[in-house]
Amino acid sequence: MTPFLSVLTSVVAWVGLMLVAASVAVIGPVRLREARGGLRGRVWDARRAVAVLCVVLFASVVGRSSLQAVSELFGLQATAFIYGLEGGFVAWVQATFATPALTAYFSWVYVYGYAFLLAFPVIASLALPRTVTLRRVLVAYALNYAIGLALYTAIFAHGPRNVMPDMVTPLLFATRPEVMALTSEVNVNSNVFPSLHTSLAVTVGTFAVLTREEYPRWTPVAVTLSLSVVVATMYLGIHWLTDVVAGVALALGSVALAHRFVEPRDD
Amino acid sequence: MTRPISRRAALAGFGLAAASAGCLGRTENIAGRDPHSQLTLELNATPADSDPNGIRIARQLEEHLTAVGIDVRLNTVGQTDLWRKVLINQNFDLYVEQFVETEPFDSDALYGLAHSRFVAEPGWQNPFGLTEMAVDDLLAEQRRTAGSERDDAVAALQEAICELQPFSVVAFPDALTAVQERRFTGWTADRQPVSAAGLLELDGVSDDGAGDAGSTGGNATASDANASDANADDGDGAALRLVTTDDRITENWNPIAAEYRRHGTFTGLLYDPLVRVDGESAVPWLAADWERVDDDAVDVTLRDARWHDGEPVTADDVAFTYAFLRDTSMGSVETAVPTPRFRGRSSLVENERALDDRTVRLTVPDVNDAVAARALQVPVIPEHVWSDRTDAATIAGFEFDFETTEAIVSNNADPVGSGPLRFVEATAGESVVFERNPDHFLVRSASGDDADASGTAADPRAGVPPRYHGKPAFDRLRVEVLPSDISAAESVAEGLADATVSNLGPESVPRIGRSADTRLVSGRSAAFYHVGYNARRSPLSNPRFRAVIARLIDKSAIVDDAFEGYAKAATSPLAASPDAVPSSLAWDGRETDPVHPFFDDGGSLDVEAARAALRDIGYRFDDEGRLLSRGQ
Repeated sequence: MTPFLSVLTSVVAWVGLMLVAASVAVIGPVRLREARGGLRGRVWDARRAVAVLCVVLFASVVGRSSLQAVSELFGLQATAFIYGLEGGFVAWVQATFATPALTAYFSWVYVYGYAFLLAFPVIASLALPRTVTLRRVLVAYALNYAIGLALYTAIFAHGPRNVMPDMVTPLLFATRPEVMALTSEVNVNSNVFPSLHTSLAVTVGTFAVLTREEYPRWTPVAVTLSLSVVVATMYLGIHWLTDVVAGVALALGSVALAHRFVEPRDD
Repeated sequence: MTRPISRRAALAGFGLAAASAGCLGRTENIAGRDPHSQLTLELNATPADSDPNGIRIARQLEEHLTAVGIDVRLNTVGQTDLWRKVLINQNFDLYVEQFVETEPFDSDALYGLAHSRFVAEPGWQNPFGLTEMAVDDLLAEQRRTAGSERDDAVAALQEAICELQPFSVVAFPDALTAVQERRFTGWTADRQPVSAAGLLELDGVSDDGAGDAGSTGGNATASDANASDANADDGDGAALRLVTTDDRITENWNPIAAEYRRHGTFTGLLYDPLVRVDGESAVPWLAADWERVDDDAVDVTLRDARWHDGEPVTADDVAFTYAFLRDTSMGSVETAVPTPRFRGRSSLVENERALDDRTVRLTVPDVNDAVAARALQVPVIPEHVWSDRTDAATIAGFEFDFETTEAIVSNNADPVGSGPLRFVEATAGESVVFERNPDHFLVRSASGDDADASGTAADPRAGVPPRYHGKPAFDRLRVEVLPSDISAAESVAEGLADATVSNLGPESVPRIGRSADTRLVSGRSAAFYHVGYNARRSPLSNPRFRAVIARLIDKSAIVDDAFEGYAKAATSPLAASPDAVPSSLAWDGRETDPVHPFFDDGGSLDVEAARAALRDIGYRFDDEGRLLSRGQ
């Protein structure tokens, strides 16, 4: 089995297990059983949001390589600017906090925790009787991806591990080189601004806070995980603080826009 | 380099206020002066994923430049973009990269690199924009003279270049390569292991591989390894699998595309040169023989060879190649559009004429034998393919003023060469597959089934060293692109690949030892790391300023820290070439550079000494210690 397939299998298996556990613990067996009725209707109700997300993801998969070429040729070369702006912040984070245990935790969070964090809100909001949260989550994801892709194209920059290898260790790839096979399939090293890991994680965290009355147990889990993802992007040397700040802004903007575009229905 | 618009605007505001107060003349005299501002330099390098070493040199230089008061923009760009910036558009201040040639090279390589006649051309010819008559004269002299006279010229040339510093040589790296020896052996350790010659020297471990066609018996000793096991892996037993972080070979196979070639290893196997360098000698390759008929002419006789599409290789192709390298438009564009690679070599040939199908006469005026042989080291290309690419390059049918030809911008899909490898298929950004050319003279045996081949004259490989006979030892060559040097080293350690092509950082080294069949091979590469300066731009146009920058580079520390000892600091670009470096430029036993010693203060930069050196040559600083330059 190629490294890519083996790491993919492991992610799918882990995330699947976590989703089952979280569904039982957060949504609860009773609500899960009830949710099965009307599931089809709710999916149908959210069809437009699903379509929007699919279109964005499809465009990202198909257009990524040509957008990357455009970015290389015409994108704003921003590495020097970002590095000049924040200097060795990420190096300081690593020098101050790095321990083997934390590295193991953040590496896990960056890959497994992140995938789980993005997948669970879809299931959880699908289990709700009204589809407004589901539709908003899907639209917010789509906005994150679409705006993120546009910014990736407009701005060409490399992350701290690529610029200051003398001070920033690529902790994720040094400890789990097999993960690189996965991340390089879905991203290239010049797509750092903004951090989509940050923006999607913060998007989920924000929704978890906004819908805390529906799933009070989910809120602390989501907030903890999403903050861990945010820290992990820098701790692992992948993103600049600047990318993270932009990622948070993108997340809050996407959530606000999703609320604006998607209105609750009266029924 | 930027300008402080805000300061100017403020000055304009003051000027207006002052003008209304009635002292216009004096204020005009002040406002009319351009203000000084901090010097900004952009330092370009490739990211650590592409090359773990270059960025570290750039980082040290960035720190030291910042310390003396220069505003540095450390900019990372991909390899194609870096060379596009430096070689094609010449739009850079400083860059850190490796030289193109990996084998120890003749001093004439400096001709293309530094002669002022190339100052207006894009490509590997004088990318620094150096214009020095003394250097030009010495470059011409080392072409013309021979023996000790030439040695003196070469020594003087190196001294002149070291003094002028169009580029600062930093170190000659050990080409660290992870190899898996279960399937192929013979990885050379005295130079870059993955080079055109290095790949041809490999021997297959398995008996049923292709290596037995004419190899010299090296197989027998190695065949006790688990050959059947190795062959069961993927069904194509004699495939050599290489991994790299450089994806350019998966999308462009143009031997003259300067921004897409790193060392030209694979295009060097697709296209045969007339003569190949083998150690310290030049051996006939596509040429069966060459002879200097008089002071001005070299007659080259070709071997019996065919292009990958079946057409015969003729003297006309060779003549076309030289005319084409001189002007890739073949006269169809008003100003000649010379090749961006091999320019120094091809500039040696002034004229060319096919005498018959197999003989070509090249006019190579008044040069020594070493230099004449260098003229024969360019890739020979087929006229029937490239004569269609001599028009000015267009986009969607529209001609822009790019001053380039289709030949230079073509990615040369489905390359047709005559070399020992031919192209099979590629997926851009992922992989490329080549296969052995069964028609190549290396695999054509003189004896055996050819009844009329018993005479020595008919040996199709005459003059080629025996270790290349019957090579390459693999049927297919697959190059796969991986995201970083660490994943490349892992891939070899796990047995998924046979060797790494691109540079490994010292951090990858411990990963290689994990598997018993895997080992680290390293030979010193001649592809020196250097800091290149754009001498077209002020203040980099000032050799004294470049000399101070050179003194900000702590080469010993770079070798120790960035390369962890896997490199050798150097002053001269010829430090890997045997017996070329005069003692005034040699590093043996020295702690620091003999010409431009590092401003050392107990292991770190002596900022005050560096600033004093800059003041001495006329530069000024403001109260905050910023180096001032005239806003441009």
